[in-house]
Formats: sequence, structure tokens, C-alpha cells
Amino acid sequence: MTLKKTPLHDRHVALKAKMVDFGGWSMPAQYEHGVISEHRCVRTKAGLFDVSHMGEIMVTGPGALGLLQKLTTNNLDRLSIGKGHYTTMLYPSGGIVDDLILYQVDDHTYLLCVNAANIDKDFQWIFDHKEDFEVEIDNQSSEWGQLALQGPKSPEVIAEVFPQAKTLLQDLPYMGIQLIPDTQDLVYCARTGYTGEKGYELYIRPSMLPTVWDSLLELGAKEGLQPIGLGARDTLRLEASLLLYGQDISQEVNPLEAGIKFAVKINEKDFIGKDALLQASEQGIERKLVGFLMQDPGIPRMGMDLYKDGQKCGQVTSGSYLPTLDQPGGMALVSRQIALDDVVEIDVRGKRKLAKVTKRPLYSARVK
Amino acid sequence: MSYPESFSYTKDHEWVNFEDSSEAIIGITDYALEQLGDVVFLELPEVGSEFAAGDSFGTVESTKTVSDLYMPITGKVTAINSKIADNLEKLADDPYDAGWLIKISFNEKDGELLSSNEYEEFIKTQE
Repeated sequence: MTLKKTPLHDRHVALKAKMVDFGGWSMPAQYEHGVISEHRCVRTKAGLFDVSHMGEIMVTGPGALGLLQKLTTNNLDRLSIGKGHYTTMLYPSGGIVDDLILYQVDDHTYLLCVNAANIDKDFQWIFDHKEDFEVEIDNQSSEWGQLALQGPKSPEVIAEVFPQAKTLLQDLPYMGIQLIPDTQDLVYCARTGYTGEKGYELYIRPSMLPTVWDSLLELGAKEGLQPIGLGARDTLRLEASLLLYGQDISQEVNPLEAGIKFAVKINEKDFIGKDALLQASEQGIERKLVGFLMQDPGIPRMGMDLYKDGQKCGQVTSGSYLPTLDQPGGMALVSRQIALDDVVEIDVRGKRKLAKVTKRPLYSARVK
Repeated sequence: MSYPESFSYTKDHEWVNFEDSSEAIIGITDYALEQLGDVVFLELPEVGSEFAAGDSFGTVESTKTVSDLYMPITGKVTAINSKIADNLEKLADDPYDAGWLIKISFNEKDGELLSSNEYEEFIKTQE
């Protein structure tokens, strides 16, 4: 199979990125300075990510609200034009189809930003539930590229590149989205991200993507802006305890177990999977996703088993060395008896290493 | 990237510096470190441990992967570089001197060893 390339592929190669296969896409894992340096750059200055592999599904029409209310767990009545929220789509079992950001970009017009690996599955899932809703469901993933500009200097950098929208963008509230005026083609700018830092995600037409990438890097250089690969994207999101579909959450995990109840408005609306969640909630959930930090040396990795008093009590879903905390840690799906501050053992390739269950997020986010 | 001519190498990217006919120093190559990226954890054996050629004597972990460290030849660990474990960023800066990993005593050069030229040819086939 040939790997899919983003419009910035040649630029990544020229910037000496290590390209890796990421869900069928050839993506930069890291650039010259490496994961730790890139991670620190985002925490202290600003970083630019090519995340064009992410999917964009547009749902439009008078029935869009009704269909999306049925399919997602957050409450779209809380949105208005220019606002977005984090939400999930569930199977009737309560297991997660995908986690996504859903934006209302216009009257009866919603933009769904979904995980790259789930684009086809999500599109099909939405399409299969269309019924009599008067909607158009359009998988526009190949018609949009996406850049993430993240870090405390992001507002200064974005103002340099889009001076005509300086106030608009700097005043954009967290989870807000705006069309940037006076660009050669459509550019949506959202105040969102996947790093635990203040930042923006830009939805840009592929033909215009290289120009915007170049301007950002050029004009952002004086603020210390650097290109950042998927390696640091993973350590950044893990410190901020943001979930990764396929690791921390999946068809086998429901949002209550995942600790994202804020995205489930169970008392406000009906949605697919609600009955299963009500039942789980009544019975008490069996498992929960917790953060942990290592107390012994050793790096936790996905799939490693956790033990408490000699009994197996869960599994690591994501683990890594965490550069800002200068300590290894991650997330684990554990039985409900496990409490905050419990010390557990993790089987790191045959050796038991101590870890402490720690409040999420592991790194206090400064996103707002 | 450099590969000192007086050293021997393995296809698993360790280097061996034979100090004399019974003592050797072992580390990992520039190429290995380049491939690994930022090293975040190193697990070295206890002094006194004995390993056969090809045995794993420890692990090296980068932000994304873990790799075993393999004994180039049969030997007994006489010293470990405990300084490097606390200064992992030095590993990539100076892999052939300050970045050494273990010292061993040995009886014979029983492993499959490559010269620096052979090793450079070998890594070309890996890219």
C-alpha cells in the first residue's frame, strides 16, 4: 500500500523529518532536534504541526441538528455559530465510535473534526443513521488540510500571519471557530488543540496549505516557532491527559469509564448509547481510566499489566517519558477499586516497577 | 556520523573497544542513537553478571521505542557507566567515550564482529 501524503510532505523531508507510517499516512515523527526539544518548544514558545491527516466531515441541512443530537453525547443546544465542543459518538453498547470536536460553523452547518483512522467508519456510521433527517453528509477530508499552532506564543504568531484578523483571532474564546476574512480561500481558525497549551487549529484548503505553513514558520521564527512532529504531539497530549482513540478509548470503553463525563449530557438529551450508559451508571462502572506517574525507573508502554497487592488490576493504555515532568508516566484502564494516590506495580518487561495513581491531567493545562 | 576505526561493531549496532586481550568496553553507535532519537531510559546489568555473545545485557529506550542491548562477545561485566544513566543526553553527544555502557572481561572474541568499514557498509543496506 502506498502511504498517503499531505501537501506538506516535501517540506517535512526538506526539514529533515523522520517520516513514519501513521495510520496509512506518511507523517513526520520528529524533525532535527528530536522529540524532547520539540516538546519543550511547544510548552515554552510555540510549535507548528501538520495534522492534515485528520478528518473533516461536514453535516448540513435543516435536519443536521437532530441527526447530530442523536449521534453524539454532548448537547448541541449549547452551541451557537462560531462555537465548538468535544464530544463522542457511541455504539448502542456505550462503546466509543470516535471522539471528535464538533463545531457549528453556520446555520444548520456543522464541521466534525474526526480521527484520521476513523474517517471512513465515522462517515458510514453517520450516513447509516440518516433516516428521514433532511441532511447532507459530506466527507470533506481530502478537501481540507489542517495545521495546529500550539504554545504560549501562538497568539503573537497568528497575528503576524493574519494581521487583518488580529483582534478577531486573539479574542477567539476557547473552543471558538471563525472564518478568517480576506484570505485567498477559506481558512477556519479554531481555538483548540491537543497539547495542553493555548493554541489554534487551522482548517485550510490543500492548495493554500504550503503558503500558510511557510508564512507561519517564517514569521513565527522570531517567537521561537518550530515544526513539531507526531512524537512530541503524543508526549504533549499525554501530559495533558488528552485521550487517543485506539489506545485509551475504543469500541470497548465507554465515556464514563474514560472519565470524559463532561462530554456526555445524559440528563439533557437522548442519544445512541444512552441506555447503556444509564445502566452502567446505575450499576457503577467496573473500570476507569486513570493517570499515573512512575516512581521507579522504567518506561511504561501500552499493554503492560498493572498489579495491586499481587492481583492484576488493569493495563497501561498510553505511556511514555514525559518531558515537562521529567518523569515517565501515562494512563491506564484499571478496576474501580483503585484510588487516587494508590501505589501500583507495572510489569515492565518482566520486572515490577512502582507507579502512583495521579490526578488527571498530569500536567496542568493552560489552554484557556 | 563517525565510527572509530580501531573499534569493532555488531549488526545490532553495539561497538566494542578491545583494551587488551581480556578487557573490552561496549557501547552503542552513532547510527543506533540517530535511529532511536532521544534516549530517555537505560537499563544496565549488575557488575559481575555474565552473558553469552548475543544475549541481551540491558535495554535502551527512546521516547517511542525500546531496544535490547546485545553482548557482542561472551564476557563478564566488570563495570557499568552509572554516570551516563543520569545524563542520557550525553549519550548522543559522545557515544564512543563518555557514552560507554559497560566494561567486560572476556576469554575470546567469539561473536560476529565487523570492522568500522564493514559496519558502515552494513548500515547503508539498512536505509
